[in-house]
Amino acid sequence: MELGLDVRTVGTHSVVDVKGEIDVYTAPKLREKLIELVSEGSYDVVVNLEGVDFLDSTGLGVLVGALKRVKAHDGSLSLVCTQDKILKIFKITGLTKVFPIHDTVDAAASGESSEA
Amino acid sequence: MPVDVALEIPAKPDYVGVVRLAVASLARKAGMDEERVDDLKIAVSEACTNIVIEAEEAGRDDPIRVSVQGTPTTMTVEIADAVPVPTEDDLEDSQGFSTRRAMSAALLASLVDTYEAAPTAEGSTTKLTFNL
Repeated sequence: MELGLDVRTVGTHSVVDVKGEIDVYTAPKLREKLIELVSEGSYDVVVNLEGVDFLDSTGLGVLVGALKRVKAHDGSLSLVCTQDKILKIFKITGLTKVFPIHDTVDAAASGESSEA
Repeated sequence: MPVDVALEIPAKPDYVGVVRLAVASLARKAGMDEERVDDLKIAVSEACTNIVIEAEEAGRDDPIRVSVQGTPTTMTVEIADAVPVPTEDDLEDSQGFSTRRAMSAALLASLVDTYEAAPTAEGSTTKLTFNL
């Protein structure tokens, strides 16, 4: 089981396209990638979850950790997700109030930026 | 179709996906619809992950015992576990964000029809029951 992580730049945002299953085995790879981005100075991050088949509390924990890191630099972390089964997990855990969740990467990347 | 299957896996991160696949496959065979199979996968993953993380932190490698029992109307997954019930302190961090453990508890409470965690001599047994 592999987790696909591709990073690209859209406007002022770094976009991480995630593919596969985010669980206790793969979540550390996502955590490392997000830490690396912040340490390189990317403070406005979009995590695209459209290619994610499975997400549990370990993945949520990594996203909350990354949010705290970018916030420490007055940055932002937003998500892209339209899949009902993934959105349901954010609703149950109350994280729809914590993360801006968008339908498309372009909508997420045109959101608030730390440089705005 | 009634099922009765037992699995034993090492308490290591790479085996949690194996349990998810096995249990999901049994559920489909028992006639569970896809939306409920997704709920079941998350709940089983949460219960196993809590054990794996606890085992790693404690430097233990006790195996996790998972058993699946089916009836014509329900499917029950029992996970034998050496993890104590979390205390309130574990549920929020210093910045007021929910901890992973709190999110896990919310998912388990919401996705499972009947959730029972009973203490045993070694830790506890988690029993997840889903209506078909």
